[in-house]
Amino acid sequence: MSLREATCAFCGLLCDDLEVEVAGGVLRVVRGGCARSEAAFAALGEPAAPPPRIAGQAATLDAAVAAAADVLRAARRPLIGGLDVDVNGMRSTLALARRIGAVVDHADGAAKYRNLHVLQEFGGITTTFAEARNRADLVVLVGDGWSRRFPRFLERIVAPGASGAATAARRIVTVTAIDPATRMALPKGAEVLALDAPLVGLPAVCTMLQALVEGRPVQPARLAGVSQEALVRCAEWIRAARYGVVVWSAADLDWPHAELTVQAIARLVRTLNGSTRFAALPLAGTDGDLTANAVQTWQSGVPLPASYANGSVDFDPNRYALRDVLARGEADALVWVSSLSGAVPPPASGVPTIALTRADVRLGMAPSVQIPVATPGIDASGHLLRSDKVITLRLPRLRENGLPSASTVLDALLGQLEQRC
Amino acid sequence: MLTRFVGARVIDPVHATPDAVRDLYVRDGRIVSGPRDGEPVHRTWDAAGAIAMAGAIDLHTHIGGGKVNIARGLLPELGREHPLAATEVCGACTMGPAPSTLATGYRYAAMGYTACFEPAMLPVNARQAHMEMGDTPIVDKGAYAMLGNDDFLLRLLADGADRREIRDYVAWTLHATQAIAIKVVNAGGISAFKFNQRSLDVDEAHVHYGVTPRTILRELARAVHDLGVPHPLHVHSSNLGVPGNVDSTLATIDAAEGLPIHLTHLQFHSYGTEGDRRFSSAAARIAEKVNASPNVSVDVGQIMFGQTVTASGDSMLQYRNARHGRPAKWVVMDIECDAGCGVVPFRYRDRDFVNALQWAIGLELFLLIRDPWRVFLTTDHPNGGPFTSYPHLIKLLMDGSFRKDVLARINPEAAAMTALGSLEREYSLQEIAIMTRAAPARILGLEDHGHLGAGAAANIVIYEPHPDPEVMFATPRWVFKDGELVAERGEVKAVPQGAIHTVKPDFDRGIERRLKTWFEQHHTQSLASFKIDDEEVCECGRAPRLAVHACRARSS
Ligand code: SF4
Ligand SMILES: [Zn+2]
Ligand SMILES: [Zn+2]
Repeated sequence: MSLREATCAFCGLLCDDLEVEVAGGVLRVVRGGCARSEAAFAALGEPAAPPPRIAGQAATLDAAVAAAADVLRAARRPLIGGLDVDVNGMRSTLALARRIGAVVDHADGAAKYRNLHVLQEFGGITTTFAEARNRADLVVLVGDGWSRRFPRFLERIVAPGASGAATAARRIVTVTAIDPATRMALPKGAEVLALDAPLVGLPAVCTMLQALVEGRPVQPARLAGVSQEALVRCAEWIRAARYGVVVWSAADLDWPHAELTVQAIARLVRTLNGSTRFAALPLAGTDGDLTANAVQTWQSGVPLPASYANGSVDFDPNRYALRDVLARGEADALVWVSSLSGAVPPPASGVPTIALTRADVRLGMAPSVQIPVATPGIDASGHLLRSDKVITLRLPRLRENGLPSASTVLDALLGQLEQRC
Repeated sequence: MLTRFVGARVIDPVHATPDAVRDLYVRDGRIVSGPRDGEPVHRTWDAAGAIAMAGAIDLHTHIGGGKVNIARGLLPELGREHPLAATEVCGACTMGPAPSTLATGYRYAAMGYTACFEPAMLPVNARQAHMEMGDTPIVDKGAYAMLGNDDFLLRLLADGADRREIRDYVAWTLHATQAIAIKVVNAGGISAFKFNQRSLDVDEAHVHYGVTPRTILRELARAVHDLGVPHPLHVHSSNLGVPGNVDSTLATIDAAEGLPIHLTHLQFHSYGTEGDRRFSSAAARIAEKVNASPNVSVDVGQIMFGQTVTASGDSMLQYRNARHGRPAKWVVMDIECDAGCGVVPFRYRDRDFVNALQWAIGLELFLLIRDPWRVFLTTDHPNGGPFTSYPHLIKLLMDGSFRKDVLARINPEAAAMTALGSLEREYSLQEIAIMTRAAPARILGLEDHGHLGAGAAANIVIYEPHPDPEVMFATPRWVFKDGELVAERGEVKAVPQGAIHTVKPDFDRGIERRLKTWFEQHHTQSLASFKIDDEEVCECGRAPRLAVHACRARSS
């Protein structure tokens, strides 16, 4: 049994202060964890290296790679999805995509594009964790994903009595209704204003705050269930902030045209910077979404979703979104690469499927080829982009189980295709 | 395996005969003086009538790190408009003003460049910078770590830390981020912007730390010099793009107190306030000062007409200049108690007064600064324009009548306010070879680059002479990287991976104790997570090798 320092890859915060006990390859978080990471490490179980499978039958790695190559050789319109991978996994994924002319998209594409869409239309003023930790005198929390999806966000970024300039007293606004347990977790000693707006009332609340901040009169007494008094107070806090930060998780904003809400927040932030400092801190990065998009963007020059068909790369969120491509029957083979959390299984699509998954993932249907791969940060080292998009952290390996990395398997597959074509 | 190149006119400013027809020999990726006794020549390249130069080196080009990736994400339309189709050896990708890393490697190599240096690597972003550079094939790479807006250094200076401590911190940063030099961007200004300060002159105090840019510049220039880092402190001066910034630029030179400094994208810092529009060229004053200051080297950051995107660490000034941007969307970021960045697209137009004058100011600097060893050819890619415009820029420098033709077409008010029409100087091939090869290698401390003498890396470019220098420089006949043919007449032939260039000056590791505490109190990653070791940087940077260049510490 030994104790290892670990970086947790189970949400976009990438906490690098965990201590993990390794006993016979079984991992247990003993320090720095949260409910989510404790469960995720426990769920990994004993290290195992189950064999690859071809149509459900155990096979050698070489045979599985050869079978996968056969599937891809027969395909005219391959699709690569999932992309729950680290940097090297994505590098190899893209090398394969270029070779076979695939359409490429992340499993959780839709949520990510809400933020990306606003970036491409408008831009933004953003900040990172250490800036927020050290400088924010006001933190505006939208939705509840900052607690539900990013369990240690409050503890690591909002709570610490930090040392920078502006943080003698920290104010917190919770814009949307949150449950009592989450409210209890808010740092003691902070001044808290709860607007308790319903999530769907967000666009209206943003428009109203924009008007108040610009000094325009606001008509209705109550708006989206929020009292005018609370809104006015919120606007005052926002204007008085020396370094305000607004936080959300795009995954919370799950309704049609939610990007308009993201845009309203971005616009409010831009207005505020006319006189004070204010910045957005969207939370993301879970399941490799930011990593996959960043590598795709730097290697090809355009983001996801993209197509590499016909020897050129094209970006089009309307044409290449994974679920839509499958729904329109535009794919005749699916490569699913998911080595990190394994949370999202390949969609049942009816097309021949090659699945690179974690060893502990059991799929409902037997894909054409399934190859268990090492989990970055557990069975192999790796690299991931953190939520704030500037920090890339190394995930050290914690145990040995003999599985190949996704990158190794994809490179072998590429090698097969290059040999015999 | 011995390879021979016969018959080329070899332009090699470093050596005794800088311009002569002579044969070149290459063994195992290196230039050698000739065959050993009885050694057979395996392959001969007939370069009769052609011109040979060493591979070109770009010492200031934004090829790695988050900024350009933000630009790509912000402006996918630029990528879509400039697709680069897959070939036998190249993958599908896109070019445009914010090119993909793949396209960057391919196009640089096809143009005869064999080494590129990312000048603004944020220490907290160093891993990603090395990853992007690792996915920039063919060329060698290196990066300058940004300091001077990080809270740790500002705190040290505010507390009156001694020089040894600053020096150790600078050296530690070079090691931890695997950098080859240190850059300062708008000294103190990026940090001041986080405290809502909107401008910061060289002698103005940072509102929170009370430190002035002058102090930051002096102390960093001193530390870099004392550590013996070959490249002087690389300085992006205060007041980028602001009319009248000539004064702060001159003050920046003085702040170095005679120690070596390199002023980057000088064009953006050479503005006066004369004329009806309160915007004028101060190139003559700047050039006079540079000519008289042998401790100063510069690169120009020429602007080229057309659409581009500016990506700078200077969040303070990018925010201020964002309203001039086209299309009207931009990103500004405060980053991790370390630095910041701003990404603003620009469309430089020859009919626009300000843009036309900026164009003329850059050329004035090129022509008025006399020593080609101290002025480097850059567009601050992509900020002044993409690197693919270099052949056009070379033509503007070499061909006076072409220059006058273009001058006649720009905004007439701007044309009336520049001395460009009266500058007759034309660069020679020899001078172009100095400013794009020999001089950048020397100022970066790359002993085996920038020349074609025995022992040099066999980075060889064979050009076909052409009356139009733009044609000649755009598509060399052959480009060899470490002895391997990588491009022929603009077409990439092979895609090897380049080395990473770094320096590792000696220092006292005791500084890590203080840094560890600082990281625990302020940062959101541990000191251990922050540091990148040799093995990791080669993995991230896909580098076959790390080229560590010598530092010769000087005591002060
Ligand atoms: S907050 Fe996220 S990264 Fe941190 S320990 Fe919990 S799951 Fe892991
Ligand atoms: Zn700069
Ligand atoms: Zn620059």
